[in-house]
Parts: sequence; C-alpha cells; structure tokens
Amino acid sequence: MDTNWNSTSESIIKVLEEHGLTAEEAGKPALPQTRKKRRAKPFFAFLAFFLGVSLLLSSLGGMVDRLLWQRDQGFDFRRDWQDTQAFRNEASRYLRGFLTIGAGGVPTYPSVWLEEFDDLTLREAEVIQEAVTGTGFQIPQEATTTDSTGEHYVFLQPAENPVPQEPDAAYQADQNVLYLIRCGKNGNWKTYCNGDQGLAAFRNQTLGEAYNFYLSFRDGKVSAVWNGQELDVYGSGVYDGDSLWFVPGYDNFPAGEQLKDVEVYLAVRQTPLRYYALNYADGSQLYTGGMYSVFHQTQESREFYRRQACLLGAGVLCLLLSLALNRSFYLAKRKIACWTQRVWTEARFLLGAVLTGWVLLSGTGDLYYLLRDAYWSGSWCFADLGRAVSRLFTSNLPGLLALVWFFWLLRNDHKYNGKDARRSFLGPFFRELRAKDLKRPVEKRLSQNHAAVLLVLGVLLLAEAGNWILFLCRMFPGKGIALTGVMLFIQLPLGVLAIPLALLFFRLWKSRGLAGDLGRLADQVEAVRGGDLRKPLRLPEDADLRKTADSLNDIQAGMKTALEEQTRSERMKVELVSNVSHDLKTPLTSILSYAELLRQEPDLSPAAADYARIIDEKAQRLNTIVQDVFEISKAAADQLPVHLERLDLAKLLRQTLADLDGPIQASALHFRTELPQEAVLVTADGRRLYRVFQNLIDNALRYALEGSRVYLSLTISEKQATASLRNTSREELPTGVDFTARFVRGDASRTGGGSGLGLSIAKSFTEACGGSFQVETMADLFTVSVRFPLAE
Amino acid sequence: MNECILVVDDDPEIVRAIAITLEREGYQVRRACDGLQALDQCLDPAVQLLLIDVMMPRLDGLSALLRIRERRNLPVIVLSAKSEDTDKILGLSMGADDYITKPYNPQELLARVRSQLRRYTLLGDIHAGEKAGLLVNGRLSYDTASRILRTDGEEVRLTPTETKILDLLFRHPGQVFPAEEIYRRVWNEDAFSCENTVMVHIRRMREKIELNPKEPDYIKVVWGIGYKLEQHE
Repeated sequence: MDTNWNSTSESIIKVLEEHGLTAEEAGKPALPQTRKKRRAKPFFAFLAFFLGVSLLLSSLGGMVDRLLWQRDQGFDFRRDWQDTQAFRNEASRYLRGFLTIGAGGVPTYPSVWLEEFDDLTLREAEVIQEAVTGTGFQIPQEATTTDSTGEHYVFLQPAENPVPQEPDAAYQADQNVLYLIRCGKNGNWKTYCNGDQGLAAFRNQTLGEAYNFYLSFRDGKVSAVWNGQELDVYGSGVYDGDSLWFVPGYDNFPAGEQLKDVEVYLAVRQTPLRYYALNYADGSQLYTGGMYSVFHQTQESREFYRRQACLLGAGVLCLLLSLALNRSFYLAKRKIACWTQRVWTEARFLLGAVLTGWVLLSGTGDLYYLLRDAYWSGSWCFADLGRAVSRLFTSNLPGLLALVWFFWLLRNDHKYNGKDARRSFLGPFFRELRAKDLKRPVEKRLSQNHAAVLLVLGVLLLAEAGNWILFLCRMFPGKGIALTGVMLFIQLPLGVLAIPLALLFFRLWKSRGLAGDLGRLADQVEAVRGGDLRKPLRLPEDADLRKTADSLNDIQAGMKTALEEQTRSERMKVELVSNVSHDLKTPLTSILSYAELLRQEPDLSPAAADYARIIDEKAQRLNTIVQDVFEISKAAADQLPVHLERLDLAKLLRQTLADLDGPIQASALHFRTELPQEAVLVTADGRRLYRVFQNLIDNALRYALEGSRVYLSLTISEKQATASLRNTSREELPTGVDFTARFVRGDASRTGGGSGLGLSIAKSFTEACGGSFQVETMADLFTVSVRFPLAE
Repeated sequence: MNECILVVDDDPEIVRAIAITLEREGYQVRRACDGLQALDQCLDPAVQLLLIDVMMPRLDGLSALLRIRERRNLPVIVLSAKSEDTDKILGLSMGADDYITKPYNPQELLARVRSQLRRYTLLGDIHAGEKAGLLVNGRLSYDTASRILRTDGEEVRLTPTETKILDLLFRHPGQVFPAEEIYRRVWNEDAFSCENTVMVHIRRMREKIELNPKEPDYIKVVWGIGYKLEQHE
C-alpha cells in the first residue's frame, strides 16, 4: 500500500515537472515559503502606500510650485512656445531693439547667461572658444571650468581695444531670427539685415517653411502673423498691465516722431536652433539667442509636467495597490506602531520641531521678499501673499514629505498604542520622584532620598552645562569673558563635589530595586497572614532580601503542609466515623429485626414481651445516636453538603410547627408564636434548617416544664432575621454549661430519650447554612436564638 | 401468589430475619450471601424480586446489580447501611427500583416489596391503561377524568378535599405550591394561617399513599417555600 502510494506520487511529480513545474511549486506545500510571503506582504503593502503618498505629494507639490512661480511666463505645458508670453516679450524686445537701430541708436541687447543651460557640454564650450577666437575677446586659461555639478562656465574679459561695430552687429549672427530694418528719408534708404532676403520676401512672408512668425512695423503700427494668421496686437488699443505686446503703437504709447520713416520686418524660426555668438554690443557675454531660451524653457516645462504627471499616475497606482492589500497594510501599520512605540516622547517632540522648522524656514524666502516689498511700496497683493504662503510648503518638498510622514507615524502610533504604552526618557525619573503613588512607606522614604540626590545632581549638571555655554560664548570676542572667570571659579568646587555625588546617586539608583523588594516582602507577609499559601515570593537571585524571602517561603510552605495535614486528618476522621457508623448499623439491624420478631412471638410471657420492647426501644435510640454522631462529625469537618436557596423563614417555621403539630398537641405545653405575615427571605438549606427547628422544638417538648408556655418568635432587625425559642426548664439549669457541646443534656442522669446531640446538631447545621446560633439561660428561662442575614 | 424473592446480604442473620418476615407474608425466599451467588441465582426466572445489600465481599451489591441488569429486568430493592442522599441517588441511578436504609422497618420493607411486585406483575396493565387523562407518576396513577388515584394499581380512597389537592399537585408535578395557594385553589377562600390545615390534609394523604409516611417519596415539603409532588419514573 505504502510503496504503491509513493510510486503514484512520484509519477505525478514527474508529470508536473514535464509541464515545467517543480514538485515544490505543485505538490508539496512549501510552508516556510508561505510564511515568508505572509511576512513580506505587509512590507509591500506599506511600501506601496509609502511610495503612493510620496509620489503623489511630491508631484503635486512640484506642479503647484511650478505653476505658482512660472505662471506669468506662460510656460504652460500644453502651449506652443510661440504662444507664450515669454515669446511675445522676447519678440517685443527684438522689435524695440531694431527700432532703436532704426532711430539711429545702439541697442543694449538683453543677454542670456550660458549658465541657464545646465546641459552645456564640454564640446560646446570648445565651440564657444572657437567663436571667440579672433574677435578681440580673450578667454583666460582658467575661464573654462567644470564645477562639482558638471556645469561649465565660461568667463570672458572684454578686449582692451574693441573693434568698432555696426549698430546691429549683435543681431548679425542670430540664427533664429531674420530681420530687415529700413530707415531714412525721401528714398534715401538705409537697410540693416542678417541675410540676403529681400524686402518682398518679408512682406509676402515667403521666407520658407522654417519661418512661421512674422512681425512688421510700418507707419507706427505693428502687425503680427503667426502660421498665416493675423494676430491682434493692440487689443483694446490702450496699453496696460494686461497687454500682451510691449511695442509702440498703442493710444497711450504711440511710436515716436523719429520712427515715422522706420520699417522693421522680423521673422522667427519655428524651431529655434542652438548656437553661440558673442555679444559684440557690450562685449562681455555669450548668448545663444533669446528665442532659443524661450523655446528651451517651454520644452523643459512641458517635459517637467509630463514627468510629474507620470509620477502622479504611479503614485495613484501605488495607493490603489495599498488599498487592495488593506488587510496586510493594517498588519504593517500595527507593526510600525510597535516600532514607533519605543521612541521617546521627547525625541518625537524634538524631531517634530526640527522638521517643522526646516520646512518653514526654507520656505520663508519668498514671504520675506514679499513682506519687504510690501513694506517699501506700502501695498499688498493678496494673490502674491497666497502664493508666498503656499511656497512655504512647496518650496521644500523633501522637508514637506518628511513632515507628512512624521505626522502620519505620530497618528499611527496614537491609533494603535495606548496611552500607557508610551515611553518617555524623563518619565521614569519623574515617576521615581513621585513617591506619593507608592504604597509602602519603605519604598516612599527610599524614593524621597533618591529625589533629593537627583535634585542636587540636576543642579550640578545645569551649572556644568552653563559653564560650557559660556565657554563657547568666549569664542566670540568681547562676550562673557568676565562671566567665564566667575563660572570657572564656581565650577571648581562643584566639579569636585559632583563626582562623589554622582557615585552616591548611582548607588542609590541601583538600590531602588531594594525598595520594591521590601514592598513585595511586606505584601507577601500580609498575604500569608490573610491565608494565601499558594504563591511563594520569588525575588531575583542576587537580591539583598532573597534569603529573607526564602525563609518566608519556607514558613509559608510549612503552614501549607500543616493545613493540608489537618484537612486530611479531618477527612480521615469523617471516614472513620462513617465506617464506624456503618459497622454499628449492621448489628443494629439484626438486633432491631429480631427484637421485632421477638415482639411478634405469640406465646411470650408478659415480662419477656416487656424486655423485648425495651430492647427494641434502646436499639432505636442507639440508631438515632449513631445517625446523629455521623452527621455532627461531618458538619464539624465542614463536609456537610448544603443546598442553599432563598426561602421564607417565617413560612419554614410555620411548616415546622404544622409538621410537629401532633407531638405539640399531645404535650402539655402551650405554644405561643409570633411570626410576621410577610415573607422573611434568607439564604439557607431548607431541609437542614427544618432539622434545626425540629430539634429545638423537640428539645422544648422534652425539657420544658409541663403546662408552661413556649414562645417562638421571628423578628427582623436591620439586615438580620432572628428566630428565638424560649421555654421554662423543668429542671434547674446548671450554670456555666455550654448546651451546644456534644452529649450535654439538661439532665445529668441521661435517662430520657434523645442522643444529647440535638442542640449540637442544630448549631452545626445553622452555621453550615451561614447563620449564627446562640443559647442563653437566665434562671429557668432557656432561650435559643437563630440568626440569619436577610437575603438581598 | 408465592412470588419468589432473592435476599442477598453478607450477614446471614439479617437474611434470616428478612426471610422470616417475608415468609410470614407468604412469599417464597431464596438466599445468597454475596454478589456472585446473587448473580447465579438471579438467572433462575422464578426469582421475581431482588433485595440486595451494597457492601458485600467478593462482589458488591451495586456491581452485581449492573451485571444483573444486563440479563434480567426484575424489580431490585437495595438495602444499605449507607443513608446519605448521595448513596441513595447512586443506587437508584445504577438501576435499583427502590432503596431502603438499614436498620430497616419491617413494615416498610414489606410495603415496598409488595409495591414493587405489584408494579412488576401488573406493569403491563398500568401501561395498557395508558389513555387520555391518565397521569402516571412512579407507583401512582391518576385518572383526571374520573378523579381516581391508584397506587400500584390499587384504588385509594380519598376525601373530596384530598382529591382536589392531589388534582392540583398531579397536574403540576415538580412545581412547588405555597400553602396559601393550595388553600386558595382548593378551598376557594382567602388564605389566612392555613399552614396547619393544609399540613393536616397532606399528612393524611401521605398515610394513604406513601410507603413510609415519615419519609415520603411523593408528596414532599419544600421547607420555607411550600409543597410539591415529586416526579418519579
């Protein structure tokens, strides 16, 4: 059977392997693997959440920051570069420059720093150098440098004797713009241009595919054509802050008189080229042309938004993933809460403060400038204010992320860890100082000693720290030199004192365990006194009080053994009585049976019949005694089974009286009862309690004076019901006798019926049910009181 | 008549005393002095009732009882010196039909033997008479329609008041009735110090119904609460 099974499973594995599965994957459950997986799953769930939130925040923050900062330039990510305000500004600037030339001046060309292009390569730097060669400019040997970030800087110095230039020299090399400037009077035209295109080509806009934007200035007005479409340059015709083009020709910004005969034509390349040329005009900088700069920024901005959108999408995906792994994520959060729980509260506060400070401080630059400007100009722009405030958060994204995660961890910690679980660095010290909470005086006093030493030490440490601060202050000239002298003077004796005090403190700190041990020892002594003998006191091996605790444990163990011994002997006693009573009953049965048979014999002499009756009677009494002894010994050993229930004591007394109505009527006694009509509820065993009152009434019937009255009453005082039976004794009552002791009877001769155990049994049963039993005698008055607490 | 009873006890004198008592009443008696002998003798179908002691040498009474129960279904009365409730409950749960403590009262012993034998021989009759309105409780059966009570199939003469009390108790076996309620329901009057009145009737009923009126099996006092009819199988 076994081998059969093995071969079957082997063949299955073989088939599986043929299908590209290993046995481990397919058949045998790889338990450790799943366990590993189970452990890894929460990690991945949290990783997904972490990445999701981080990506989402950083991408959104980056975009918001960019929008806030570059909105004016119009570097919106969907627009054509020529549709941006930056382009319009640049084109306007070109036009203004050309107009300056047309009016006979030399324009100051807006320069673009090479540093703006962080992708400048070394080869391009060489190109620049080539361009510079022979132009009168010099590049110092050390001008081309590469800094740590890989950027190249080129520093140029103006030549000592610049070559005289044409006014449009700065534009000559521009490869992204074609222009033609016509100026002069009465046909005496002067033309500047950078190329050989004729005037007609500009006017008809036939400069070729590469140029798609044309700007012309004629008769004091500007017109612009973009992709064959005429643009509205002047808008409402009045120049204000919202006007798109900063060119002359507005109603409030007309072209000057000197521009009356100036015509400017300008064409802009659709896709600007990257090139390098010297700015001959002011002879200090290199530029690649403003148009390329605008183009580059637009491209870069578009790239930026695309990147951010990708990050955003990835973040959302990660978040969704973590949502899908909700259960594992929950486990991860619990786990993280376990870790963060160990971090001291003080450390949390510090970290939170540092992070908040970092984020806010790094973002205050804008706010500072804004406030400064507002202060100088005396006016507010709320949009700017809002922007500056948002920049508080968006300008330092790593800081913001760190802050967000810090608060998340804090919240997570608060959610999963109870208040008590929090740890604190200074907490134990304070707790040590708060002796009020301690239970035991010994612990309290020792803790107060600790507190005093701690206080002194704390002052010392503060003084030391102050000294050090002053010492540091001394580094700065002119501050605290005198104070340092004073402090050094103080420090010397303090330092000498600090060492022994610190030693003392650490001794005391180590001995604080002693205080706890003392407290526990005291508790244990109390527990042993209270009867708890089960738990011994376990102190650590090296505790000072270990020996004392062990001695206490020995005493406890001894007491326990003694108690067990006692219980066992009690049980043995009961067993003995039980066996004896059984052994007595067997012969008694025979005696009673034969006595009965004897009495039934018909031809018995009267004397013999009387003897038989006596035998029968005495044997019956012996039986009663045996039964009573058995019960009382059980009750004495606390082994009497009782079934406690709520019952009406008044009713029980009435029932008992009714039950014993026969013997009571037959006696010469008069019973006077005083029982309340309402229920008197107590918790007791009804049958046992019946025996109690049966015995009491029996006792009264047996020993009360003939013709006297017996009083049975039930009274209720607060929370207690008292049933008392009073009768006048027939015989004189001996004084100083405990009637509830076993085998004590009113008559010393012991001739009457009864076992002499009636009251003893009544007492035992009452106490077994949780009541109290009391006998009082006054002259011939015999009073028995049975008390029970009232049931709730 | 002449039912055969097997008496088992390790004390021959007790066996003899019981035998004398039973034989005087006309029963046939067989004797055994330990559990093993009892087992042997019980196999004889002539034996119709078993009276057995608990503590015996070789095989004790309860173990013998268990084994006998595997073979025969006959009434068994356990006779023991152990008188505690727990002992009685143990004996009855091991298959005994009745339990008598030593030292026994010969009259009670006879009454119980008679009762068990009547039930054993008339068992078929009792269950055949199972009809609507017939309530059976141990050796008692009560016909609610004709209001007739039978003990071991024998009609008991009850007074009208006793019949009413019995009717109330029989219809609610196991339920405890305070004396006031019994009084109110039976006498149709407001109850006032009725404990004695009710108790007198109950005592009389016990004398008619119970085998040992001093230790009743059926009509019981629940001390401090009331009275009830104990439910038997």
